[in-house]
This record gives sequence, structure tokens and C-alpha cells, in this order.
Amino acid sequence: SGLAEADGEGKTLILSLNQTETHPSYIALTEFGDRLAERTDGRWDVEVYANETLGAQQEVIQLVGDGAVDMAVASGTQLENLNDEFQTLNLPTVFDDIDHQLEVVNDDAVVGGLFTSLEDSKNLTVLGGLTQGARNVYTAEGPVKRPEDLAGLKIRVQESDIHIDMIRAMGGSATPMSYGEVYTALQSGVLDGAENNEVSYMSQKHNEVAKHMARTEHLIGLDYVVMNTGLLEGMTEQDRTVFEEEWVAASEHHAELWKTETEKAIAAAEESGTVFNDVDEAAFDEALAPVVDKYLQTDSARELYDEVRKAAQE
Amino acid sequence: MDPAIIAGIILLVGIAVLLVLAVPIAVAVGISSFVALAVVIGAEPAVFVSSQRMFTGINSFSLLAIPFFILAGELMNTGGIAGRLIDAAKVLVGRMPGSLAQTNVVANALFGSVSGAAVASAAAIGTVMGPRQRTEGYERAYSAAVNVSSAPAGMLIPPSNTLIVYSLVSSTSIATLFMAGYGPGLLWALTCMAVVFFYTRRHPVAAAHERVPLGVAVRTLLRAVPSLLMIVIVIGGILTGIFTPTESAVIAVLYCLALGAAYQQIRLPQLPRILLDAARTSAIVMLLVGVSTIMSWVMSYSKIPRLISDSLLGLTESPAVILLLILVILLAVGTFMDPTPAILIFTPIFLPIVSTFGVDPVHFGLIITFSLCLGTITPPVGNVLFVGARVAGLRVESVIRALVPFFAALILALLVVAFVPQLSLWLPGVMGLLE
Amino acid sequence: MSAFKKVLDTLLAWLCIALFAALVLVVTWQVLSRQVLGAPSTWSSTAAQYLFVWLSLFGTAYVFSERGHIAVDFVARKAGPRAQRVVGVLTQLVILSFAGFVLVWGGLRGVGLTWSQNVSGLPVTVGQMYLALPVSGALIAFYALYHLYKIAVGREAGLPINEDEEIGRHTSAVPLIASEDPRLGPGTGPVTGPGTDPEKGR
Ligand code: NA
Ligand code: NA
Repeated sequence: SGLAEADGEGKTLILSLNQTETHPSYIALTEFGDRLAERTDGRWDVEVYANETLGAQQEVIQLVGDGAVDMAVASGTQLENLNDEFQTLNLPTVFDDIDHQLEVVNDDAVVGGLFTSLEDSKNLTVLGGLTQGARNVYTAEGPVKRPEDLAGLKIRVQESDIHIDMIRAMGGSATPMSYGEVYTALQSGVLDGAENNEVSYMSQKHNEVAKHMARTEHLIGLDYVVMNTGLLEGMTEQDRTVFEEEWVAASEHHAELWKTETEKAIAAAEESGTVFNDVDEAAFDEALAPVVDKYLQTDSARELYDEVRKAAQE
Repeated sequence: MDPAIIAGIILLVGIAVLLVLAVPIAVAVGISSFVALAVVIGAEPAVFVSSQRMFTGINSFSLLAIPFFILAGELMNTGGIAGRLIDAAKVLVGRMPGSLAQTNVVANALFGSVSGAAVASAAAIGTVMGPRQRTEGYERAYSAAVNVSSAPAGMLIPPSNTLIVYSLVSSTSIATLFMAGYGPGLLWALTCMAVVFFYTRRHPVAAAHERVPLGVAVRTLLRAVPSLLMIVIVIGGILTGIFTPTESAVIAVLYCLALGAAYQQIRLPQLPRILLDAARTSAIVMLLVGVSTIMSWVMSYSKIPRLISDSLLGLTESPAVILLLILVILLAVGTFMDPTPAILIFTPIFLPIVSTFGVDPVHFGLIITFSLCLGTITPPVGNVLFVGARVAGLRVESVIRALVPFFAALILALLVVAFVPQLSLWLPGVMGLLE
Repeated sequence: MSAFKKVLDTLLAWLCIALFAALVLVVTWQVLSRQVLGAPSTWSSTAAQYLFVWLSLFGTAYVFSERGHIAVDFVARKAGPRAQRVVGVLTQLVILSFAGFVLVWGGLRGVGLTWSQNVSGLPVTVGQMYLALPVSGALIAFYALYHLYKIAVGREAGLPINEDEEIGRHTSAVPLIASEDPRLGPGTGPVTGPGTDPEKGR
């Protein structure tokens, strides 16, 4: 396939990203490319196309499988549509925090099978994950401390069954809506609240229209980096080792950047008048337990879930 | 060679040659983009990228507003709304000198404020106003020019399908663009009214006016209220956030249906034909949207916008000069291309450039729409001009001569739109729609 | 072939009408479910989008049947009838290759790649939705071949009928649904009816 054909000699990998050039993902992935070029004498490099210019995530994944694009950042929701078992890592309460999540997604023994599961059918390999931080519920009126407080409140969710079930279980009325419309909807009262990480909360200026942030931390978000399997397999053994080492370093670097950004966002939010409050975690966990059960349908999904939870206890 | 240059040359030469050969614009853009893509990434990935871009380019909830507004427009024409708006316009400006010409301008603006298509406006209003002006002794070319020049105001005054298309390629909010459209749209209409005013000074025969008795005036305005209520429902619905723009468009459809039924102008057996006409018109637009999505993918992949902006910025560092240069290009493009394809093609190229020196994307949307609307009244390709001349029963050439003063004045208005951002941004700013 | 085209045109016309009507109903339901019932529909926007893609693609095919897509033809119109015929044949060949590469080949590839990919909230897969691409592509290819043949043997003009020259002439492909000239867009219906036919000769 034209320039995309890797013959082991390397190429500049085209990577599609849905975030802007200031986002931690962009910074970490660009540095990944620089380190890669440095250590392979310029044989391999990564060029990040930010702002969804090559398409939305779901479409770009198809392009990666077909070889028009080499790599892409994709959300869990996108991969779930290809293989149900990705749901396991996208369930509420599955990860305790960012560090737990990072440990799991870089552990081949736990996620190796899942990450290679799309190779035969879709020509896609999942390299690993980039954390998207803990998600909280925020509302125009508050505070929200227990599931009862969400009763009757229209909370925006992503257009995904898990997220819809999740907000319902937490007590709210789930309202699927595209990201860009949320601000106006909160402002006009079409929505009473939304759920997201603090970084997006601030970058979308939702702090102007929803000033109560409940630290529900119901979900630790995760983006994946997927790559065309043929390209990865075309690498020399030596280059592939470098590639994988640098990838792990990049995902760790990204987590550090993410934590810094989150701290900055929280400070800015407080400065702008956002009120943070703690919640009755046990009550929310209990409310969410049926959702977790509902989406662990197969033995292998349950097994993966148990492995992930085991890592949290260690 | 740099893929940007290869792809750029294929796109430019391919589209130009195919357009001259009278290949439909959408096909010219689609096949040229496919070939450029095949050269840059290989034929097999290129077929899938192209088909996927087409599919996802159309697969958008916001774009869905377009077929609904088109359908609402069809229903409006069948449903007797245009006549009521003309009567209302006459009451509003009937006492001004040259009242029939002024009525024509205002009726076009009113029609534009409930519908999105300038061509429909020119046809509907011109058909009624032309004969009336003729009996009063107006020069036919002049009255056609009044109708033609004022009809495009409706593409700037919301609702506007053209602005919805721009919102798609620029990732700006439809609600904000709609609010920003009122300033330039009203400026367009006022510019036409000013030209009419000066014309009446030198042509007493076209200066007549009439007094409408108060009782008649009130009754006429009341009769137009249900039609004008559409503005409240559509624009109000969007602004308060009760409806998304797409939902408000479907409400407009239902409302027009209800009005048409109430006025006993629309009957059930007519509906299939109306739906098919609207489907056809929106399919023409959507194919353009689909293929230009392929083209913008090729351009992004090969970084063509960066190449163009680097070379433009290399020419001069003055933002004003660059903006003027862009206006000239847009006016030239507008002479032979419709606003929709031109917006789809040129926004991805020009918006990043003007953004580097701080032009607001919403403001640029009005600049590009205003300049391309001017193209709808110029030869060799100008839909509003053609339709306006046709309903007046005149050859295009004779209308063109009468259009010159209007066109000149509208060019001045374009400069105001381009260099006075407040004209576009004040209203959305006041309503809290700007960042 | 002409009889077959007529049947196809009619079927396509009614398909577009049905898709458009369904689209109006689905989005109306979306508004109702949220504003009146207070239980926002979770499937309506996705369903509406796919209906819209289908409507656009099949509507596009219908317009190809009428040769009604916008073209810049003022240059070609200056040429003689023979040259116009050559231009007409070339145009149909370009349309044929566009339909073949992008819609049929690319569409089939898309169907294959996304056949098992679920659509959130709806009991369909992305691949099933993608089927509209190759199907509409095949229809467009058929129409291109049809017009190519008709132009080549001189039974159709090289360039589509221009409304400025042939005022009052209907170009609609479907007699069942008498419609106004498609290239005028909305708004030429009853208002410009036969009574106001411009006096072209003066
Ligand atoms: Na309008
Ligand atoms: Na023009």
C-alpha cells in the first residue's frame, strides 16, 4: 500500500489523534516519535496529526486496519464495538486509580491476549493505553453526595450503553449527547450535569455553567493506541524492541503529564469558584456493582476482571 | 517530490480540467481527490478512504438540518407564505419613495428570515413583484435587478443552509453563526435599499409611493404573523437550547405543514412530490459535502493548507493585504461556483491562514459567505441572477447592466463586513455565544 | 433499457420519499421524547443519521438519472454539437469511474471491514449501513452507462437541457410525480406556474 508499505527499513508513522497540540497525549506521542527516531537512526519516526484531521476515532481505526493510516488513538468505546471484552477495562470501579491502571495496561500477562485479539480479524494491534484520568460527576446545582442526589437530574453521557447504564445506576437520568453541545445544553438547562475528568471540564469551560464537582471517581478513563499489525510485524527484531521500550516510557511519561495537568485544572477550577465535594463512595460502589456484573458476560471477561482486581490488591 | 505538491497539482489540474469539460462539480472534486489520494497512499487504501470519507462526511446530525430547511422551504412555497410576507413588507416600507422596489427588498429579507434559499426567494418574490412594478412604469431590467440583488440576503439572515455547511467545515456552532448572520444580512438588505433610494432621486417614475390605510395595514400585518412566528420558533428554539438546530429545522417542517394545511394550500397527495423535490435538492448538496470531505482528507494528509498558508504569508506580512487577497480570490471563485461547494473547498484552505492573525472563525464564516453570495448574482454562473432574469422574462445580459450599481455597493458592504468584525460578532457576543 | 430505467426511477423516487418521511418522523420523535415525555431517546439521533446517509446516497443516484447535478457548463456550451457530444460521453465516463472506484469498490471494502462492527443503541452493524454505498454506486454506474449510450447514439443532448434555453420544459425523470425543474431548487412550484411563464421573445 504505497508509502505505508514497511519493508523493515522503517518509515514515518502517521498517527491520528483526536486532541489538540497542547494535550498531554500529543506531547507524549510526539516525544515518543523523537526518541524512536533517535534510537533507530531515523529509520522510524512518528508524526502526530492532531485535532481529528484524519477522521473521528471510529473511522480512523478502520483506516489503520486497512493501511491508509499507521497508528491511532482510540477510546475504549471504539474498541468495544470490535470486541466486547474491551468493555471490561471500560467498566466503572474496575481501576482504583491511574497508577493501578498503568500497571495493568503495561502488563502483558494480564492484557496481552486482549491487546492482540484484533490482529487476525482487523489487522490491528493494541500497543497500550494512555490514561484519561478519573471521571467525576459535575452539576449546575449541588452538591451531589449520594446516588439519591442524582435522582431526576439529566446527566450527559457519551453515546455508549455502559455509560448510559452507569449513570442510571448512579441515580441520574442518562442523556447521550455529543461533546461539543454540552456547554450550551448545561447553560440552557437542557442538561443538569455531565461527567468527565477535570482537564476536559476546564478545557471545555464547563466550570462556567456547572460549579459543583462531586469526587465520584466512578471511572478511570483509558485511551488506546492501535497500530497496523502488518507494519509492526514488518519491523526488525532490534527495532521492535526499541519501539516497545520507548512505548512503555511514553505511556509512563504521559501519566506524569496527565497528573500535572489535572492538578493545574483543579487549581484553576477552584479559583473560578468550582466547589469540590467528597461522596459516599461505598454507596456509589454498591449502586454500580450490578452494572459491572451485567457487562461481565463471558468467562474470559470475568477472568480478566479478576486479574485486574488482583493487581489492585497487591 | 513533496506529497503536498503532488497532491496539490493533481487536485488543481484535475478539478479545473473536469470543470471545463462540464463534469458535475461533485464528480470533478470526488474523482480528482481519489486520484490524488491513490498517488499519495496507494490505490487500495485510497478506495476505502474515499468511500469512508464520503459516508462519514454525510453522517452528521448537524447537517441533517439542511434537508429539513429545504423541505420547509418547499412547503412554504406551496403553503402561501410568500404572498403574506410580500403584503407585510408593503405595509412596512410602502410610504418610502420607490415603494414597490423597497417592498421587493424587504420581502426578500423577510422571506430569507424564515427560509434558507436565495434562489427560492428570487423566484417567489420576483414573480409577484415584477408585474406590479411593470404596471407602475418601472424599467423592467431595474426591477429585476432589485429582486436579484436583494435575494441573497436570505442566505446570510438565519436560518441559512450555507452557514450550516460552513459550521461543518469550520467546527463552529450553528447557533453562533446564525446570530452572527443578522448583521451582515441586514447590511446586505440596507445596501440594496440605499441604492434604490438614490435611484429614485434620478428616476421620478420609480419614486412613487402609497399610503396604506391603517386598518388594512394592521390586518395585513396580522395575516403575516403566523408566518413570521417561524422566526421565533426556529431561532428562539435554538437560542434557548430547547432544540438543537436540526430539531428546530424539523419543527419548522411541521409548522409549515400545519400552516399549509390551515391555509388549505397543501393537500396530502402533494406531499410525495414535495418530499421528492426536497430530497433531490438536498442530495445535490450532500454529494458535494461528501466528496469535499474526501478532498479535505487528502489536503490534511498532505498538509496542503500549510503549504498554501506558508506561501501566502511569504508574500506579505500584512493581515489586511492577505484578507483583501482572499476576498479577491473568493469573488473570482464565486463568479463560476455556487457558495456551497466553494465554502467546502476553500474554508479548509483559508480559515487556518486568517486564524494565524486572529480573525474569529465565526467572523470569517460571514466574510466567506458574503463574498460567495455576491457570486450568485454574477455571470457566468449565478443561480439567483438566472432565476431572477427568468421570472422577469428578460435576458441575463440586460439585467446585468442594471445590476452594476447594486453590485458596486455590495462590494463596499463586503469590505465593511470583512474589516468591521463587530458587525458580525456583536450580536452573538451580547447573547453569550462567543468564547 | 429505457423501460427498465423508468421502473428503476420510480422505485428510487419512492424509496427517497419513504426515507425522507421516516427521517422527519424519527427526529420528531427525538424532540417529543425529550421535551414531552421527559425520557430522551437513545437511538433516534444515530438512526436519523443513517437514514440521512441513505437518503442522500439514493437521492444522489436519482439526480444522476436526471443528469441534474450542478456543473459549470458555460464553456462547454460554446462548443458545437459534435464537441458537446464528446464532452457528454467523457462526463459519463468520469461519473462511471467515480461510481466504480469510490462507491462500489471502496464501498464494498467498507462493508467488509465494518460488517461485524456494532452500532451503539441500534440492532444493526456499521457494515449493513455501508451497503448503501455500493448499491447506490451500482445504480449511478447504470445511469452513467445509460446516458453514455443515449448521448453516443444522439438520442440525448451532449449537455443536459438548459432551463434558460428551454423554458417550461420538464426534465423530471418520473412522470408519476410531475415536478418543476430540478435545477432551480425549491421555490419554483406554484408561484412560477405556467400562468407566469416569461415572455421570452418580447
Ligand atoms: Na435565511
Ligand atoms: Na457567479
